[in-house]
Amino acid sequence: MQKLLERIVAGSSGWIELRYQARSSKRLTARNGKLEESSSTLLAGLGARALIDGVFGFASTTDLSEKGVRNVVEAAQCAARTSSGAKKERMTGLADAPLARGTFPVVTDDPLDRHSLEEKLDLVLRTDARVRTGAREIVSSTVTYSEFQDEKIIVTSDGASATIFDAKPDFMVLAVAERNGDQTMGYESAGVTGGWSDLFAVRTSEEISERAVRLAVEQLSAPHPAGGTSVVILHPSLVGILCHEAIGHTVEADLVLGGAVTADKIGKIVASERITLCDSGLTEFAPHAVGILPVDDEGVMSQRTVIIEKGVLRSYLHNRETAAHYGVAPTGNARAFVYSDNPIIRMRNTYIESGDTPVEELIGGVKTGYYLRGLGMSGQADSNAEFMFGVREARKITDGKIGELVRGVTISGNAFEVLKSADALGDDFAWDHSAGHCGKGQAAKVDAGGPHLRCKLTIGGRQA
Amino acid sequence: MRESNLLTQCRQALELARERGADGIEVFGQTTRNLTSTIEKNDLQISKSRQETRIGVRAFLGDRVGFASTNDLTKLEDAATDAVILAKASPGDPHNVLPEPNGTPSVDGVYDPTAESFTTEDAVRYAIRMLEFARSMDSRVIVGDGEFSAEIQQRAVVNSSGFEVEERGSTFTYYLLTTAKEGERVSNFDFQFGASRIVSEIDVEPVTRRACENALGSLGAEKGESFKGQILLTPSAVHQILEPVLTQINARNVLRGMSRWKDSIGTAVAAPSLTWVDDGRLPGGIATSSFDREGVPHQRLTVIESGILRSFLHNTYTAHAFRIANTGHAIGSAGSLPGIGPTNLMILPGDLSKDALVSEIKQGLLVSRFSGNSDPISGDFSGVAKGAHLIKNGKIARPVSGSLIAGNVFEALKNLSGISKERERVFNFIYPYLRLKDVSVTAE
Repeated sequence: MQKLLERIVAGSSGWIELRYQARSSKRLTARNGKLEESSSTLLAGLGARALIDGVFGFASTTDLSEKGVRNVVEAAQCAARTSSGAKKERMTGLADAPLARGTFPVVTDDPLDRHSLEEKLDLVLRTDARVRTGAREIVSSTVTYSEFQDEKIIVTSDGASATIFDAKPDFMVLAVAERNGDQTMGYESAGVTGGWSDLFAVRTSEEISERAVRLAVEQLSAPHPAGGTSVVILHPSLVGILCHEAIGHTVEADLVLGGAVTADKIGKIVASERITLCDSGLTEFAPHAVGILPVDDEGVMSQRTVIIEKGVLRSYLHNRETAAHYGVAPTGNARAFVYSDNPIIRMRNTYIESGDTPVEELIGGVKTGYYLRGLGMSGQADSNAEFMFGVREARKITDGKIGELVRGVTISGNAFEVLKSADALGDDFAWDHSAGHCGKGQAAKVDAGGPHLRCKLTIGGRQA
Repeated sequence: MRESNLLTQCRQALELARERGADGIEVFGQTTRNLTSTIEKNDLQISKSRQETRIGVRAFLGDRVGFASTNDLTKLEDAATDAVILAKASPGDPHNVLPEPNGTPSVDGVYDPTAESFTTEDAVRYAIRMLEFARSMDSRVIVGDGEFSAEIQQRAVVNSSGFEVEERGSTFTYYLLTTAKEGERVSNFDFQFGASRIVSEIDVEPVTRRACENALGSLGAEKGESFKGQILLTPSAVHQILEPVLTQINARNVLRGMSRWKDSIGTAVAAPSLTWVDDGRLPGGIATSSFDREGVPHQRLTVIESGILRSFLHNTYTAHAFRIANTGHAIGSAGSLPGIGPTNLMILPGDLSKDALVSEIKQGLLVSRFSGNSDPISGDFSGVAKGAHLIKNGKIARPVSGSLIAGNVFEALKNLSGISKERERVFNFIYPYLRLKDVSVTAE
């Protein structure tokens, strides 16, 4: 296939990019003692992007014959030509970048294929049973294991020619508890880039399910908090959510050009000087972070991009088009989830670098406040960095000690203001975006994390 | 009916699964041709075309089931093999059954043959129309994001009971995400969506007008007021806040014990003014088609009638478990097992106009969009009211930002104090404005 793509690209006029992808995925869901889903998916297809008169066109197909490939190249060129007549803004060109050549394998000692379907089915059924018998208040349990394995070939007319392998499994547990008609949920998950044992390296499946059960049951007797501004300690999971959802999207260069709040802020102070915030496709800290991406979907080699350095905004996240617009180097953030998706700017692993305060000291310094961990069932953030997140687990802090659980907590504010209010960062670090996807018209597997962080934000409770 | 390739491929996959030992088989095939032209920051962004055929095989071994799908027609054997392996490895479930063969009455207005000659140029032309119309309305509006999309889809279901159905449909959808900018001030964004099933009914202007007006209307928003009182939700906000209702009416959730309405059929779950209908045969509806994901005919179903819960949404699995008639609400693509979901879900209109609903509010909040949590189980909602306007003495007074609203969806349904005559399409939902009372509004 690589040879065919190279030949067709070499014979085409103008700039062209071909991206072949074969994906094999599995999804197994057990719910309340039944196997609700056991499915396998085999996808193969080709995405083609053409650049004519400074305008892109994109087409995709499942016809992988030589004729099919030629047709899709023509469709992409036709799409580019058609809109080039009416598009106001044209690209001056694509920024130069280190383009990938060669083969990029998945790094793991324990490939997913070494584990049988039966073993994976057993995991979800066993975990489901464990959740249901975990406490008498549990009325429902859902356990999902899913994985995908990709082979991608990216060939561009300006020199990229790479084969990239990827494997990303994840695992999710949802427990529902009930007492006197009142229902609460506990949700926990894990997700990695890599193999089977990597998925459970931080927490075993038993630890994950026990935590979900405990959280669901404990919430039944938890009060709602009073709303208002509060000092909080954010667990790395919420630091990650803040980095990704509320800051990260506002520095995606396409959204910056679309009017995000960070426009004209490069070189300006946007956060506390304690904050250094990065996005990286490399493997620092954790070799199995979900968003690992050795080569992006434009064939650009991955890197670590410093977005905020000691409080100062240093860089947006770029593809080759926006990098040319800003006169900078691409950051390797062009991603497409499947062959039929056009590559767009996406995050990879987004995080705040650790500080130097022991976590106990962070918490010890709070007279009254909250300890907040994990994203609840939903959340939303705008391009002006205003956010609103449900919190999975919120506990009161009184005189430096973590105390009772409160339920139904939401946090809101402006992410940059929150980061300006950060007065201490923990000396720890964790990736914790776990399972699930980031959505921006198409899915992407990402990770996010950081240390524990102390800051101020608005707690929304339910008024009695 | 002329034999299509899709039907032939579905039959081929069915035979392959039978050869591998499956004793019950359903094959769902889907061919999609899509042309899309996208908009970004007041300019055309990219034009795209996509063509895909996907075949999904559901294999039964007694009451055990496995599912596999592929878009690679040279891999039908692998898909059939995987489906059977998964069925063998899975525990049984007595409700894993195929639907009984059933006549499928066709439905009009889902396919426009002229859509076949729709080109990339046509999609681009509509996208340009949206941009030009927005520009002509007000130069402060930025169309940050938008899309015009044309799709022709062919669906076929073949199963081992000898059941075969096939249908072709065309759908045109368009949306805009707008903000307004004046100096340093940037409004909240507004999102509007429109759709049509036939070429001659495509009309991008009303949608564009609403998106522009709403973005402009929220410019200059300042801090609101804290109170407990009435809020008026736009159809978009109704869709966002009332989402937990979808969890309750899904029969699968009822079986799972996850619906708080599991024992509520025949009882009041909402104010008597509220009637909620799902109609998979609605003329022009975006989700209209003659059969569902399992080939079962679509129908019109009253879910909530004058506040009384009448029916859940069922597919073959849940209908078998409840021993009642299937309502034809299996949803999903050829890439997934049949789930359950609404088709065209509507709240029937009320008697008062939106303006009349506003005129009766002494102190309240108009909420255009909701950014927050609406818990599918407890029904607690809490979040920021976006594109919000303070209502004073029966009039929309001024735009406000940062107002938090909190309450409970299920209490709100019973505390409904008004339903508008006007309705808008929000994806496959057709909702009026709803007025709720006793909602906590906190100005930040």
